Amino acid sequence: MNKLSTTNLSRRTVLAGAGALGLASLIYPGAQARAAGSTLRVRSYGDIQILDPAYRLAAPEGDITNVIFAGLVITTAGDKWGWKPMAVETIEQLDPLTVAFKLRDNIGFTDGFGQMTAEDVKFSIERIADPKNESPYAGDWVTLKEVEVKDKLSGVIHLKEAFAPLWTSTLPTPSSTILSKRAVTEAGGKLGVKAVAQSGPYLLKEWLPKQRTVLVRNPDWKYEQGAYDEIHVHPIEDEKTAELGYEAGDLDYTWTSVSSITRLKQTPPADTTVVEKPSLAFVWFGMNKAVAPFDNPDARRAVQYAVDRKAVVDAAYFGAAATANGIIAPGLVGHREKNLYDYDPDKARELIEKSGLAGQTVVLDILNKTERLSAAQVIQANLADVGVTVEIKQNDSGTFWTLGSKENEYSKKLQMVVQRFSMQPDPSWATEWFTRSQIGVWNWESFDSEEFDKLVNEGKVELDPAKRDVMYKKMQDLMEESGCYVFLTHEVAGVMYRNSVVAALKPNGEPVFADFKPA
Amino acid sequence: MLRYALKRLGLGIVIVSVAMMMLFAMVYVIPGDPASVALGPRATPQMIEALRARMGLDQPIWMQFLKFYTSAFRGDLGTEVLSGRQVLDVVFEQVPFTLALIAGAISWSVLLGIPLGCIAAVRRGGFVDRVVGILSVAVIALPSFVIAIYSLLIFAVALRWLPAIGAGEPGNLKSQLMALILPSLAVGLGWVGYIARMVRASMLETLEASHIRTARAFGLSDRRITYSYALRIAILPTITLLGVGIGHMLSSSVFAEIVFARPGIGKLVYEAISVRNYPIVTGAVLVTTVFFVVVNVLADIVIGALDPRVRASFD
Repeated sequence: MNKLSTTNLSRRTVLAGAGALGLASLIYPGAQARAAGSTLRVRSYGDIQILDPAYRLAAPEGDITNVIFAGLVITTAGDKWGWKPMAVETIEQLDPLTVAFKLRDNIGFTDGFGQMTAEDVKFSIERIADPKNESPYAGDWVTLKEVEVKDKLSGVIHLKEAFAPLWTSTLPTPSSTILSKRAVTEAGGKLGVKAVAQSGPYLLKEWLPKQRTVLVRNPDWKYEQGAYDEIHVHPIEDEKTAELGYEAGDLDYTWTSVSSITRLKQTPPADTTVVEKPSLAFVWFGMNKAVAPFDNPDARRAVQYAVDRKAVVDAAYFGAAATANGIIAPGLVGHREKNLYDYDPDKARELIEKSGLAGQTVVLDILNKTERLSAAQVIQANLADVGVTVEIKQNDSGTFWTLGSKENEYSKKLQMVVQRFSMQPDPSWATEWFTRSQIGVWNWESFDSEEFDKLVNEGKVELDPAKRDVMYKKMQDLMEESGCYVFLTHEVAGVMYRNSVVAALKPNGEPVFADFKPA
Repeated sequence: MLRYALKRLGLGIVIVSVAMMMLFAMVYVIPGDPASVALGPRATPQMIEALRARMGLDQPIWMQFLKFYTSAFRGDLGTEVLSGRQVLDVVFEQVPFTLALIAGAISWSVLLGIPLGCIAAVRRGGFVDRVVGILSVAVIALPSFVIAIYSLLIFAVALRWLPAIGAGEPGNLKSQLMALILPSLAVGLGWVGYIARMVRASMLETLEASHIRTARAFGLSDRRITYSYALRIAILPTITLLGVGIGHMLSSSVFAEIVFARPGIGKLVYEAISVRNYPIVTGAVLVTTVFFVVVNVLADIVIGALDPRVRASFD
C-alpha cells in the first residue's frame, strides 16, 4: 500500500486544509493590501464635522477645506511664515485700508457652479464678517468695511481701520476661502459635510466618517497641480496610535507625541525623517486673582517665585521642550527673550509668610493629559517645598473648557489652572484672550489691566513691526507683573514622514497637503 | 412558549425605558457646556447662547426629557446641530463596524473556548486540563487594552502581518477581515477563558448524567458521546453567558476602536462625550442598549425553546 492510499482524505480534512491555507494567505505579509504608488496616507487628529470654512470647528477641517476650496492666498511651507497666491493672480495692499485683487482666470467650481468671480469673493468674505451669520471667525474680518466688485475677476477689499493680522492670520487661512455664492445660497446659507462647488487643487472624493477622507487630484485645476493621485486622510485622535500606525506602515506622515520625539529622533523607524518644529502654542500656570488666597498680590508673587519652570517643563515634555518667557512664540513679533520673576524659593518663602499662604491647601485644575499631570505634580512639589499644599484636580475636556466660564458656578471657586492655548502666527491671537471683557470667558485669571486692553486694541491696527514688538512685549510684562501668570513653554511639534515623501510643513509643523510631493 | 416570549419582550421594554431615564440623567448631570465646547474659543457669548437655543438646551430640563423620550419612541433621535446630519444616520453608519468587531470576538471565544472546555472536561485532572485551567484564568485576567497593545506591537509593528489602524479598504472583504483580526482578538480573548471554564464545568456535570451513562452502555464512542450528546446540553449556559458577554464586549470595543483607530459605536460615544455632543451620546447609547436587550431577549427565548424547565419557571 503506498503512502497516498493510507492518507485519510475526508471531506472535512479537505475543508480544514483549505481554511488553513486561506488563513495563511490572509496573514502572509506580501498579501496585505496597502495603499501605494501615488497615494499619500496622512494622519489628522480629528474627523471633519463640517466643510464650511466659515464654521470650521478645528484644524483638521481647515487642512481639508484649504485644498478643496481655493482661498485668495495660502500659507507656504518652510521655516518662515509666508503666503503665496492661490485663487488670485495679483493681490496688493494699496494703503492700510485697501487691498486690491484680481482672480486667476479659469478657476471653476465643480457640480456646474461655473467660474469663480469677484462676486463670490465679496459674498464669501462679507458672509464671515457679518455678525448676523454667527461665524466664530468673524473676528478675522472685524475691520472689514466692504468688498467692492470692480469687474468679473477684480475687486477691492476696504477696511474700516488698519488690521495688522490681515496678511498673517486672516488672508492665508480658511477665513479667505472663496465659496460659490450660488452653491451656498442653494444650500440654505451654510455648507454641511457634503462637498459641493469645490475649486481647489484636490477634490473630496469620499468621506467615510471616523475612517478616512479621500482627496483626488482636481484635473481642472490649472495651476500648481497636486503631486499625488490621491491623499487619504485618516482621523486618529490618539498620538500613540498614530505612531504605531506609522511604524506598522499604514501611514506616510503623522504628528508624534512630544514624549516620543527624543526616542524617535534617536532611533527613527526605517526610511523615516523625524522633524522637530517650534510650536505656536503657549502653556502657562495661572492664578485667579478674584478668588482667595490669590486675591492677595503677595500670594501670587510668592507662587511665581516658588515654581521651578525648567523642572516643570522638563518633567512634562521629557526634555524636548524649552521654557517660555511669555505667550508669544519665538520668531513672532513681540517674543520676549526673558521673563521678570523666576524660581527663587527663598523669596517665595518670605512672601508666603507675609501673605499668610503658609499651611493652606489650594486646588490646581488641569486637563486630564499626561503632560499636564506631570507639570502639575512638579508644581505641587515646588509649592510643598515652601509650605503650600496643592490638590490636583483632573478634568476631562468637556468639563475643563468650561471651568472658568461665568455661567459655571465653579468659576467663582477656580484657584489655579494649567492652561494651553494655540494661535495663528500673529501676536494679537495670543493676547486677545486676556482682556477685561474676556473675564468669565477665556480670561480665567481675572487679569484686569486698562493699559493692557488699550495695547491689545492698538496692536491690531499698528502696522510697524518695531512698534508692535514693543507693544506686545509690554503686554506680557503687564501680565507677569500682575502675578497671575507663570509662563511655562511653547511646546514643540514632532513630525515624521517617509523618506519617499517631501513633506510640505508650515513653520510649526502643520501640513500643507496640496504641496506634499514624492521624493 | 408565546407567553414566555411576550413576558421576556415586555421586560426588555421596561429595561430600555429605565436605561433611557438613567442615560438622560447622566448626560445632563455631568458638567460642561456643549455649545461653548463645540464653537471653540473664538465664539462670542451671543453665538454660544444662539447655539444653546438651537440645541434646545435653554428649555426646562423636564421638557427636554419629555421631548427626548417621545422622539426616541417615534424613532427620531434628532439632528446634530453643527453638521445638520440625522443622529440616527450618524449612529447607524458606525453600527456595522462594532457588530463586525463583536462577531469577530464571539468567533474567537467560541471557536477556541468550546473545544478547550471540552478537552479539559474529557481529560479531567490531567495535564491538559491543568494547562487549560491556567490559560483560561490568565486570559480572563488580562485587560483587553493590554492584549490590544501587545498584539498590535507584535503582529502589526514588528511582523507587519496585519494592519495597525482602520477597518480595511471599503469594498475589499479580505482587507476588512485582516483589519478585524487584531481588534476582535483583543476583545474576544478574555471570553475564551470564560467560555472554556463554563463549558468544562457544564460538560463535567452532563457527563455524569444518566442518559450519558446509558449511551456508554450502548457502546457509543467517547467522541460521539462528548460532541454529539453531552456538548449539545452543556452548551446551554454558554448561550446565556454570551448574551451577557455581548454587553461586556461592547464596552471593551471602546478600547479596541481607539487603540486600532477603528470606526465604531464605542469610539463615536467616547468622542461625543468629550465634546458634550449630547444628541450623539444619547442616540448611540440608546441604540446600543436596545441591541443589548434584544440579544438577551433572543438568548432567553432560544434557551426557553431548548429547555422546558426554563419556560416553566416563568409560568
